[in-house]
Amino acid sequence: MNQVIGKSVNRKDGRAKVTGEATYGAEHQIQGLVHGYLVTATIAKGSIRTIDTQKAEATPGVIAVFTHKNPPKVFKPTNNWMTSKIYEARLPLSDNTIHYAGQIVGLVVADTFERARDAAQQIQIEYETQPVEVNAQQANYQKAKSMFGEDMEYVAGEFETGDFSAVDTATVEATYTTEVEIHAPMEPHALVAHWENNDSVTIYEPTQWVKGSQRTYAELVGLPPERVRIVSPYIGGGFGCKAFPWPHGILCVTAAKEIKRPLKVVVSRRQMTANTGHRSHTEQTIRLAANKEGKLSAIEHTAKSCTSPVDVFTEPCTGITPVMYTTPNMKLKQELAVLNVGTPTFMRAPGENPGMFALESAMDELAWELNIDPIELRLRNETKEHQRKKLPFSAKHFAECLTTGAEKFGWSDRQMQPRSQQQGDLLVGWGMASATFPALRSSVEAKVRLLDDGTAHVLTAGNDMGTGAYTVIAMTAAETLGLPVENIRVELGDSMLPNGGLAGGSQMTASLTPAVLAACQSVLETAQAQNAQEAFAKLRESGRAAYEATASSAPGEEGKKFAFNSWGAHFCEVTVDEEIARLRITRWVSVMNIGRVLNSKTAASQIRGGVIMGIGQALMEECHLDPTTGYPVVYDLATYHFPAHADIPRIEVSFVGEPDLDFNPMGVRGCGEIGITGVAAAVTNAVYHATGKRIRSLPITPDKLL
Amino acid sequence: MKNFTYVRANSIEDAVSRATSDRQAMFIAGGTNLVDRLKVFLDEPSQLVDVSRLEMKQIERTNTGSLKIGALVTNTALANHIEVRRNYPLLSRAVLAGASQQIRNMATVGGNLMQRTRCPYYYDTAFPCNKRQQNTGCPATTGMNRTHAILGASESCVATNPSDMSVALAAIDAVVEVEGVQGKREIPLIDFHRLPGNNPERDTNLEPGELITAVILPPLSFSQSGVYLKLRDRASYAFALVSVATALEVAGDKIKTARVALGGVAHKPWRAMEAEEFLIGKAANKSNFEQAAEIALQDAQPLAHNGFKVELSKRAIRRALAVSAQGGGLA
Ligand SMILES: Cc1cc2nc3c(=O)[nH]c(=O)nc-3n(C[C@H](O)[C@H](O)[C@H](O)COP(=O)(O)OP(=O)(O)OC[C@H]3O[C@@H](n4cnc5c(N)ncnc54)[C@H](O)[C@@H]3O)c2cc1C
Repeated sequence: MNQVIGKSVNRKDGRAKVTGEATYGAEHQIQGLVHGYLVTATIAKGSIRTIDTQKAEATPGVIAVFTHKNPPKVFKPTNNWMTSKIYEARLPLSDNTIHYAGQIVGLVVADTFERARDAAQQIQIEYETQPVEVNAQQANYQKAKSMFGEDMEYVAGEFETGDFSAVDTATVEATYTTEVEIHAPMEPHALVAHWENNDSVTIYEPTQWVKGSQRTYAELVGLPPERVRIVSPYIGGGFGCKAFPWPHGILCVTAAKEIKRPLKVVVSRRQMTANTGHRSHTEQTIRLAANKEGKLSAIEHTAKSCTSPVDVFTEPCTGITPVMYTTPNMKLKQELAVLNVGTPTFMRAPGENPGMFALESAMDELAWELNIDPIELRLRNETKEHQRKKLPFSAKHFAECLTTGAEKFGWSDRQMQPRSQQQGDLLVGWGMASATFPALRSSVEAKVRLLDDGTAHVLTAGNDMGTGAYTVIAMTAAETLGLPVENIRVELGDSMLPNGGLAGGSQMTASLTPAVLAACQSVLETAQAQNAQEAFAKLRESGRAAYEATASSAPGEEGKKFAFNSWGAHFCEVTVDEEIARLRITRWVSVMNIGRVLNSKTAASQIRGGVIMGIGQALMEECHLDPTTGYPVVYDLATYHFPAHADIPRIEVSFVGEPDLDFNPMGVRGCGEIGITGVAAAVTNAVYHATGKRIRSLPITPDKLL
Repeated sequence: MKNFTYVRANSIEDAVSRATSDRQAMFIAGGTNLVDRLKVFLDEPSQLVDVSRLEMKQIERTNTGSLKIGALVTNTALANHIEVRRNYPLLSRAVLAGASQQIRNMATVGGNLMQRTRCPYYYDTAFPCNKRQQNTGCPATTGMNRTHAILGASESCVATNPSDMSVALAAIDAVVEVEGVQGKREIPLIDFHRLPGNNPERDTNLEPGELITAVILPPLSFSQSGVYLKLRDRASYAFALVSVATALEVAGDKIKTARVALGGVAHKPWRAMEAEEFLIGKAANKSNFEQAAEIALQDAQPLAHNGFKVELSKRAIRRALAVSAQGGGLA
């Protein structure tokens, strides 16, 4: 495996994207297409007393107005993870209650976008309002279940009978908070629904889960899945918010059927601040007890997050705790409160990200407390097994991430005391934090065709949301067939293709490339050839047009023997101009252990993207809500800040470790999410080193540095 | 839908007469602010009078030694103009601290002076707003007001003026040249924008129908000491939380003239006159700068979430003055 695998290969879809040839959801042009504009609630709790649509209906170009009084016909989906899944559980326009500001209360359809938007403004709504609950600090928290309904509480060792004081005395106890972050992918949520004859529909919508989306929409419109086609060749960023149909999608598809025209709905940036998912506010308390050598005797981790009144999503912050550091006594607890906000959802490393902010901050605090180097502290507490699953980790090279990173960064030159490093008038701080993310994979299929023109096609309903999936799939096929990458054509993102699984949980590459490998081997077997050239020769001799094979790949018994995680370490340098509260990140080194690296270029890009997103979380991302109405007061990408180029230093990424062949035949573990974990802690740890000031609540906006 | 007509003005007189006879008409120049506002129903003009092709694109020296900048000079052209860079470096830096290169390529001097607040409550018609519609209320006073005014606000409006360019112009003592049906007149920049009082719907003292034709920069012998310091939530492409423009004329060991203007803190670019007066005749040292900063903010009235701006402003003033005292440059 080393013709192309592991090399730096340009994206196969790069040219199509930069030339505009790549067609995204809202760009599909269909004869007779009309436009829907969403009407959204301006209060966060209460009900609609009256809704007057007459004026809107009478405006030129308007085709239909849907409200809770005349919702388009929709079937109740089973809404469980195996069959169908909608976000959120309440169907749009199902009654007149308002649960959060920005909730969809109507859809106006007109011949042009501008006319639909204008008519939406003409709708008069009178509300019965109730006091809102949008303050996470004052919310009423209850013991939480996970979004899969599982109990999240865990106790081990002496915690089974006692509380912390009975177990040990805490060396570090601190509370950390993160702010609401909204999904802001470059491509907004948008779709086109095109019905034919009332009994089949094509939906052009960016989705991270083509087959899941197909099954879900099929249930919603009361058709068998094969009558619903999902087309999603490109996704302009998903990060977790494009995994399941949201209310606007359900409305678009069902309304299109009623009006008997192809319909497009685009969610505006303003609307996306409220109704297509966000990462909840979190508050986490960590207590650590350790002896003078830094050996942990107890970890207690309590996490609070919030959900909407209409669905349950618990940000699973404590999942990483049993994975990172070994201790005989452990207690994990999660609590959830209901606020009048839209439904929170998966956002790059859901749970792992805020969880690692808290845990890695606390570990840094412990290192200072005990006067131990933070890298050394982590090495002393590394766990060889997953403490909850009681299984050893496979191909774990966490320690190597730490030591390699330290060397690349020059950590040994660090002046130990806070405020001891200076550069002119600037304080300089160095910080580090660990990274981890579970390795997941699911059952998928891929089809490979060898054609008489000397090319190979790989087909599967997986997708590429900008991660590089097209390219690693082509590389896997190229390697196995003995062809140049240019001779491989990859087709993704169409529900007509074999099941390609979910692009989520960092599992697309780990799921798909083993299936591609198997399909390539199988097609060569069919052709009775050693490689593609031989197969092509046979095609020419026989006059056949193609050889074709489909293969699947699924997790097996390995999960009973091992626990699978990826590992990493981040190192960063910050400068702080204390007088004017100006913080800059000036250097970044990340070392990752992700099993086999298929494409060194796109893998490093994934890590960089994660680091950049993490820097956004650390320094600036926050969605404030108006305390009275509960409406977000960020309204576009000029008011919701994420990093600009000037915020980002050079990010040096490298990889360690060997292929994890216990995990899958390709030895890959995936790298979409691990890059963001630990980033915010590395930054706050560096800020502490620079200034002596411990920031426990993100983001570190200038006011927090005064 | 409220449709509007679009016309290209063929002369300044034409533009002015259209906008005077039709009170619902609006000028459009680069469109970088107005088009955004139209899209979210903040303005509903009857006609757009496109002034962008008029002959107001020159930067020229006047016989009094001033620099006259046409209202249609783009932000990019202004910031990069050799005379501006040489003689008014703080203006060049202020303009470059704003928006993005693409936006600055389109944005004009006139449009920049007239850009409206970025208050989120003003921007979303779901909220009431006195600036949008008189006497409907100001949810920002009791809502999220981290970015709002700490100086010169009123009960009816706590919005801030977002322009960086205007802060530098305030420090330079620039003059705005405008033309109406009655003819031309000149308004000192510091009187051009208004405090909200009971009429927050009016941002400026421009009369209906009047067109900005130029901005005049008087000669400033000590402009090399100019500093523009912008503090914000990200390193670039964000409006100021607080910004400050300073310049100092020092003779011997005494300050002869001082200029201190603040941005992001009020409904208009804020000249800290009392702080300037305090500095005159004093030594250019840290403790005097500290006192000047205290004086500049002595009337500050922070809201629930923007108290930090008071301290941040003081520190920004101290820093900018210190850099000015060393001869100017980047702060
Ligand atoms: C994302 C984003 C970020 C930005 N960041 C910053 C920033 O950090 N700092 C900053 O200072 N600015 C910033 N801006 C604002 C930008 O500077 C203004 O949009 C721009 O200067 C407006 O100029 P324009 O020519 O495009 O005006 P237009 O949009 O054409 O017009 C704006 C207003 O001015 C009026 N007008 C235009 N010309 C005249 C005239 N000659 N006489 C009378 N009235 C006139 C119009 O009627 C309209 O009301 C940002 C803008 C955007 C979109």
